[in-house]
Amino acid sequence: MAESVPAQPALYSGSENPPSLNGGRCHRCGYVFFPPQQYGCESCGAPPEELEAVTLPGRGKLHSFATVHLHQGKGIEAPFTVGVILLDDGPAIRSILTNRTGQGLKAGVRMSATIVSQGSDEQGREVMELRFEKAAR
Amino acid sequence: MSKTLIDLRPVYVVGIGLHRYQRLSETTYVDLGLTAVRAALADAKIQWSEVEAAYTGTAFIGMAASRPMLRHLGATGIPMAQVENASASGSTAFRQACLEVASGISDVALAVGVDKPGPIAGAPGKTNIRDLVGARVLPFTHFALLANDYMNRNHVTAEQIALVAVKNNRNGARNPYAQRQKQVTLEEVMAGPAISGALTRLQCCPVGEGAAAVIVASEDAIARLEIDRNRAVRAVASVTRTERVYREAKNFDAELTGETVAQAYREASMTARDLDVLELHDAFTIEELLYLEAMGLCAPGEGARMIESGAADIGGQCAVSASGGLLAMGHPIGPTGVGQIAELTRQLRGEAGDRQQPNARVGLAHMVGVGAVCVVHILRKD
Repeated sequence: MAESVPAQPALYSGSENPPSLNGGRCHRCGYVFFPPQQYGCESCGAPPEELEAVTLPGRGKLHSFATVHLHQGKGIEAPFTVGVILLDDGPAIRSILTNRTGQGLKAGVRMSATIVSQGSDEQGREVMELRFEKAAR
Repeated sequence: MSKTLIDLRPVYVVGIGLHRYQRLSETTYVDLGLTAVRAALADAKIQWSEVEAAYTGTAFIGMAASRPMLRHLGATGIPMAQVENASASGSTAFRQACLEVASGISDVALAVGVDKPGPIAGAPGKTNIRDLVGARVLPFTHFALLANDYMNRNHVTAEQIALVAVKNNRNGARNPYAQRQKQVTLEEVMAGPAISGALTRLQCCPVGEGAAAVIVASEDAIARLEIDRNRAVRAVASVTRTERVYREAKNFDAELTGETVAQAYREASMTARDLDVLELHDAFTIEELLYLEAMGLCAPGEGARMIESGAADIGGQCAVSASGGLLAMGHPIGPTGVGQIAELTRQLRGEAGDRQQPNARVGLAHMVGVGAVCVVHILRKD
């Protein structure tokens, strides 16, 4: 069986399903953010040592979505659909959805993260990407 | 104690000039810029030797664009600098020219915007902070997501949003400097091609090349150089802000615009009701609706209905993007914010020809740049 690797290991765990997101939290003001960064808190200005890595469960609700017909990104063909998901833990994030055309989606539905195969890299490893899909319940 | 523009000595726009916004061509940026600056000097009826400082708004040309261009007007040795603030580069160059004169450091200053599309990468992509979507979400998808949210919340259709493009192309068809000079029907806008979400091609601004120039002057200079006082338009507010952290998936573009415009109204002692003409950042149709609401020109959720009612047409309550806006006049980046000031000046002088808003006295210019900045100016004809 081919080895699999997450496309963006800094942003999510690629080995478990459902995957969790790697976020950050500020000790000083409690601000929770995604994607993770170690430069300083953009809400209160606390320095890097006040920022801690936190795991954000990939659950939330769909805020809005748009089906993209034209883009410059690599590794994906149009059309595909991008959603804004308001995570249960706070931050609003953007993700590609498993639903390519957006058919049947509407704002407010529960969403959960999932890991999908996005083809192979040059070394023949299966590249896994995080997507969001309608939650089972 | 901090001060606002109105607390300093009065500053007036006395000259405007443009090079048409157009698709990328062989024309050099020097030709584009000089065309605009020479037109602005002729409009003000002053010589280049009277200009004491120059700010060049540009994002894509490259390092040190000012002198290689402006030396051909005569190398007078004046201070020059490039101003880069993404889409708000030209607006920021105009602000610097206003502050230069209002502070008393110069009597006459130039703000020129010039650009040609180019391959320069933006700095936000160099922070090494990656998100899940990267280049798969370009600006049009950012605004398509806002359009989707707007339609859900306000029970507005894609056609109602597209009407912004119909209006702005109608205005652009009357503007000889516009990149798009063709009137379009709602059917033509909706026919596509589809770009992202509800946005079709004609709902996204063209990014081409062009130039715009504005000369500002103090009252002393107007008297000394015998500049026509009746054609001078005063800048009464210059405000720029940057985005803060807005929680809970708030629409940060609209929040930032609301904050910045509110501050400009306060500084100029005005309200939305005072505006006769408005040039706003309509790079995508949905933006016009969001910003009209954020600026208080209509109630929240009423932007689409304001457009349908004709209140934003030339001849309506406030002519919005009478130039054609970014959607029709075009968005060459560096020139865009300066071109807005030129259009407002033309309108407030009563020189806008067949796109003239009747009895225009107060105008507001608004630009947003990635990163994210917002720049707002209010002009008034005394």
